Amino acid sequence: MPQAFRRILGPKRVFVLGLILGLGLFFWPARTLRSDNFVFYFPTSRHIIALEEIGQAQYLPLMPVLNVIGKVGALQEKRRSLTVWFGKVQIVLRVDNSAIQVGETRLNLAHPVRIVNGQWMVPVDFVTTALPRLTREPIEYQAGSSRVFIGDVKPTSFSVRLDPVPNGARVTVQFTDKVNMTTASSNGKWYLFLGDRPVEPLESSFRFSNSYVNDIQFDDQDGMPKLVITPAASGLNFYPTVAEGGKVVVADVLKPPPSEPQRAVTPQPPEAGTAPVLEPLPGQGGEEMPMAPAGPALPVVVLDAGHGGVNLGARSRDAVLEKDLVAQLVARVRLAVLATGKYRVVLTRVGDLNMGFDERAVAANLVRPQAFLTFHAGNLGITSPRVMVYSYQPPSPPLTPDEAPPGLFVPWTKVQQMHLGRSRELALALHQQLSQIPGITADRPADAPVRTLRSVNAPAVAIEIGSLSVDEDAAVLTTPTFQNQIAAAIVNALEAFRGGHT
Amino acid sequence: MTNRAKLLTLIMLTLMAAGAFYLRVLTRRVSMEAPPFGEQVARTRLTEAALQSDTAPQQTATLYFPSYDQGALVTEERQVSWAKGDTDRVRQVLLALIEGSHQGYSRGLPAAVKIRAVFLASDGTAYLDFESEGLEDFAPGISSECLAVYSVVNSLAVNIPAVKKVKILLQGKEVDTLDGHADLSDSFVPNPSLISPAP
Repeated sequence: MPQAFRRILGPKRVFVLGLILGLGLFFWPARTLRSDNFVFYFPTSRHIIALEEIGQAQYLPLMPVLNVIGKVGALQEKRRSLTVWFGKVQIVLRVDNSAIQVGETRLNLAHPVRIVNGQWMVPVDFVTTALPRLTREPIEYQAGSSRVFIGDVKPTSFSVRLDPVPNGARVTVQFTDKVNMTTASSNGKWYLFLGDRPVEPLESSFRFSNSYVNDIQFDDQDGMPKLVITPAASGLNFYPTVAEGGKVVVADVLKPPPSEPQRAVTPQPPEAGTAPVLEPLPGQGGEEMPMAPAGPALPVVVLDAGHGGVNLGARSRDAVLEKDLVAQLVARVRLAVLATGKYRVVLTRVGDLNMGFDERAVAANLVRPQAFLTFHAGNLGITSPRVMVYSYQPPSPPLTPDEAPPGLFVPWTKVQQMHLGRSRELALALHQQLSQIPGITADRPADAPVRTLRSVNAPAVAIEIGSLSVDEDAAVLTTPTFQNQIAAAIVNALEAFRGGHT
Repeated sequence: MTNRAKLLTLIMLTLMAAGAFYLRVLTRRVSMEAPPFGEQVARTRLTEAALQSDTAPQQTATLYFPSYDQGALVTEERQVSWAKGDTDRVRQVLLALIEGSHQGYSRGLPAAVKIRAVFLASDGTAYLDFESEGLEDFAPGISSECLAVYSVVNSLAVNIPAVKKVKILLQGKEVDTLDGHADLSDSFVPNPSLISPAP
């Protein structure tokens, strides 16, 4: 027997066996977490809930899902099971068990129920399996997609075609209904925002073997449906036009004429890595996009939507995420500011990206803005809706004129300290306008050590709306009325601030 | 190779595969379990004997807690038997803030937060090193985060004259912010303007 052992388990074989097992363990995929969103569309609202990938399956947190479709009456949590009273229906779930009880019916989910960080997670097919038993509203869900339409929602759909034209390619997008489009460009891509209507794409991704357009992706992860067009090369021009009353967009992607002097066209193709510059696209049919007005350059306003990507920020009881809420608000403010025709607007982030503090400051400082506004949402107590405006206050006393560094250079961490006076004026102008909105509490401007503002080389303020906390619903903060009132107040404040400046 | 040797090899490979699989399951289970912190843990730490000074007379300590409604810090007074050293007093104030208000005010530091270390430098800077895990339940937002930081800074400065500035570290390292808002890159000086006047 010992001889047999030695023969079978000689040192070489043990080494090889150990190596194989070690490599196997090393390459065995660990549990990965990914931050995507699932969008619930209702006739007059939409809610975004973060998806989590557990193993190979996508999961939704149970309580936020139930909160968006109704009201949870009560719940009883034990170590391995959860009972939820939802209206007249009782839901029973058990950890690591794919069978759930909804009322009298036993249902089988595609994957077992899990608990992650104290949250009960259900696989995405809970939407099709259990939701129809919890609401009487019709539910429309395309398997594999990250959106569901609940109630009398008539989503728009579209088709995409790519045709060759001399010196370029023509993208034609045909919609089933009129959409109010705006365009934007950022990080070398072009964006067609499709307005407030829900959109259900037949295909989410279109790839092309073409020298001008790589692909077109549909994205509504932040609740804002849009098409993202990726050009195949840098330096191409993008000329979108709207036709048939907003039901068709024709966009020519063309090489720039070699000897023609640079003209101001709308919108200019971006170069990767530069600050994103957004321009509006009027949603009127058949006409060419307007040219940017000739003459002196317009002052720039930088709008910064806080958080983004995996950095979710605050979260409300009804599953509104700060990163999505402020992105939506920034989009409305951008439109309102551009509508004045007096400013250019630069966004520090477009879409669901997690930008660093310094990246945001660099994007702003490159365009030498007249004003920098960063938007956040957080716990502001029980009074809601409420708005607070902050200018920067360094954690330690600011530089006195004697201490200010002589010469050309200012430490990166102290750049905003050179603008504290003007930033406070901007905060005051904003407060004066925001406090005039009926039904909204606007506190007097405060100084705070807001990290985003620290290195911005311009008058800069932070605007925080609330209250966004796990103890409160935040639906009121998502309404177009509230957000448009804020946007209008900001436009008026910028005018007042600019007037004081000149 | 004899049949017996083949059988032995098969059994050993099966056992090793089962062991490897169990190791993976164990790793996954550990990563999915919630951190074992809680209110009870924080309260238990308050009774740490090292910080109690039974012989010292009871004195009034002033603590500041956030009021999100007012956007300010509200004052709460409490009887404390101060420890002898300033560093231990810093720890006492922090534990009292972690314990939370006795008068129902909001919490600045989460109940599950754990203090890793406290240093008091000769220039009056108190270095506070927290574990990052316990800060997950932080009330998010510019206002709430700044109030939380200043509830610590102001409470330390008012009770311990040796504390002139406060520098907050997480896991022994400098960090940009606690939760994306308050600038922690520099030391904080007290900000009395945030304290709500007594009613």
